[in-house]
Amino acid sequence: MSNNRVTGRLLTAAAVAALAAGTLSACGSSANSSSDAGKEASSMYTWITNENDRAQWQAFVDAAKKKDPAFNLTLEGPSFNDYWTKVKTRLSSSGAPCIITTQAARAQELKDLTVPLDDMVKSNNIDVSMYNKAMIDGLTVDGSLRGIPYDAEPVVLYYNKDLLSAAGVKEPTLNYTTAQFTSDLKALTKDGVTGLAVPPGFGSGPGLPLAFANGNEPVKDGKLDLTNQGLVQDQQFAFDLAAKEKVATAPQASDGTDVPEQQFMSGKAAMIIDGPWMYDTLTTKTQGKVGIAVVPSTSGKSVGMIQGSAFAIAASCKDKEAAFKNIMKITTPEVVGAVGAARGTVPSVESAVKDWAGNKPAADVAVVEALLKSGRPLVTTPTWNQVETNFTQYSGDGFRGSKSAQEILSTIANSAK
Amino acid sequence: MTALPTLTVKNAKKPARVTGHGKLAAVYLAPGMLGFLIFIVVPLVASLVISLFDWPLFGAAKFVGLDNYVRMLSGDPVFWTVLGNTLFFAVCYTVLNLVLALALSTWLHNLGSWGPFFRVLFFIPVVTPMVANALVWRLMLTDDGVVNSFLANFGIHGPSWLSNSQLAMGSLIAMSVWQGIGYNIIVLGAGLNGISPNLLEAARIDGAGAWQRFFRVVLPMLSPSLFFCTVMTIIGSFKVFTQPYLLTLGGPGESTNTIVLYLYRNGFSFDKLGYASALAWALFVIVMLITALQFSQQKRLVNYDN
Repeated sequence: MSNNRVTGRLLTAAAVAALAAGTLSACGSSANSSSDAGKEASSMYTWITNENDRAQWQAFVDAAKKKDPAFNLTLEGPSFNDYWTKVKTRLSSSGAPCIITTQAARAQELKDLTVPLDDMVKSNNIDVSMYNKAMIDGLTVDGSLRGIPYDAEPVVLYYNKDLLSAAGVKEPTLNYTTAQFTSDLKALTKDGVTGLAVPPGFGSGPGLPLAFANGNEPVKDGKLDLTNQGLVQDQQFAFDLAAKEKVATAPQASDGTDVPEQQFMSGKAAMIIDGPWMYDTLTTKTQGKVGIAVVPSTSGKSVGMIQGSAFAIAASCKDKEAAFKNIMKITTPEVVGAVGAARGTVPSVESAVKDWAGNKPAADVAVVEALLKSGRPLVTTPTWNQVETNFTQYSGDGFRGSKSAQEILSTIANSAK
Repeated sequence: MTALPTLTVKNAKKPARVTGHGKLAAVYLAPGMLGFLIFIVVPLVASLVISLFDWPLFGAAKFVGLDNYVRMLSGDPVFWTVLGNTLFFAVCYTVLNLVLALALSTWLHNLGSWGPFFRVLFFIPVVTPMVANALVWRLMLTDDGVVNSFLANFGIHGPSWLSNSQLAMGSLIAMSVWQGIGYNIIVLGAGLNGISPNLLEAARIDGAGAWQRFFRVVLPMLSPSLFFCTVMTIIGSFKVFTQPYLLTLGGPGESTNTIVLYLYRNGFSFDKLGYASALAWALFVIVMLITALQFSQQKRLVNYDN
């Protein structure tokens, strides 16, 4: 082999290696290398599961543009389920968006990712008292506000009016006892229809809203309090609806919320406990007319379990003041009201609830308004994701009666300390 | 006397330089080795380092020394449960997979012209995405799924295949065997094709019956293929993740929670990357030891004579 040929091959191989290395480094490098603080301040990292989500975020931008035509937000993000993991890794990388979305129930978990807003609220003369108090309480971590809420959604009881009428059950309203609820579910469970559709989750399942309705909460003084007797009893009540009373079908762990929602919409279940964010879907796609009521409680007077989301500023943001100003443009009463009217989210500002109410039946609006007033936020702990995961994993045993609520909640409390 | 060899060497014609292709080989290998370094070696070392820290997905890490390992071995009862589940799955899955694959590949080997057709049929689940397979099995095994609906036709009230702690692991094993058996059928089929028909003919002439020929001739000649299948199946079974993640979420209770599902959740759901890395290293060591044990028995159990 001549030296020339060897040299030629070496050069060819080196070129191939360089090309491969270049490809690797190109794959490894971030697509967005811009470190422009202004650009990051008008970028938002949020959950974009589908076109509906994207349309919701765009509705905020469009509503804000009415006052400031130059306003814009760049959106990026994964699906809702992936969001809570990926937001942590995204904010660890360079060029991360300044604005992120969070939930009041996740404010504790994401506290290291977000910055306190109190000083900016004060310097910009923002009156946070106009926002739903429960949401502000839920977004307050260690005494400081971590997000500006755009919605406040109290969990409600949906019922199929046609199925209730056929079973001779009176429609529930603003006062509904668990005794009456059980009796109604028994009357409704017949001819292939079950009284209640239940998902396997903790926050999304019937147990926690029922506990809230009775004034029992899972967190006390910032610490998990899963084994308090009130919560255990209410969760056991929810388990027994499937295990003993047989008025609900025990869910599979992998069901999520879509399976029970499908049961309700197809008329196989007469009632379901769900959030107002499902109002448009459940009222338009269910076989039969749908109404809403408060979640039942022992006394009949229900405390609402309020969930909702907010815009927060990432701790890594270089221009926090600009990001805050952008957040305030999409959380005005006009904007949250317009989004509530267009997308169905219950506005976080009381004066804007009328925009959400629109042409909805007065009885349904009254339920949401009552629960907004009585409601308490779902406050959680940094280990809440573990609580939810473990509960879903164990819920099959609870709904089938092989483990008690006490056993399950004690196990979870021990593992998610 | 002593000068002569030196002189000889000096005067000897310089031997033609062996033009090795070391540099060229190194350059050609560089892209692959670079990938191996970046995607295998660096993450491996990084995970070992991370396992010594309390390392959240976001925020500052805190050095905790061997605390994660101590907690794993003495303070976390779930670890031993998931390890037991994983071992149970690995043993049942491997044994069932190998026995059925051996039986089916032998049957297909003697089936004639239909053999290749069925071989492809059994291989289809292997090349189908695991997620799609798991979702189909979920539709089949839910309480009001295809299986229970079929049983209902005979007046049988089917059990809760995925929500009964006694049955859930069995359901996962059944689905996994269905998914993975095609690969071993192909490998063992190739091994069977490699056995000389003369050997079987000689055994038949010597009066060996069908079972004797299978156990005394076919099985020893097939042992290299069987060894390969055993090693790969065991390694794969310890990494089981998708099936419990999609079918049961590890439940009911902890009955189908496996070590990879548990470490994934610790890393990406519970925000405990340090502890997840310690779990990953425990899995790495276990798989390495079992594989080493298998290779140590290779000479005794595997026959490489033609």
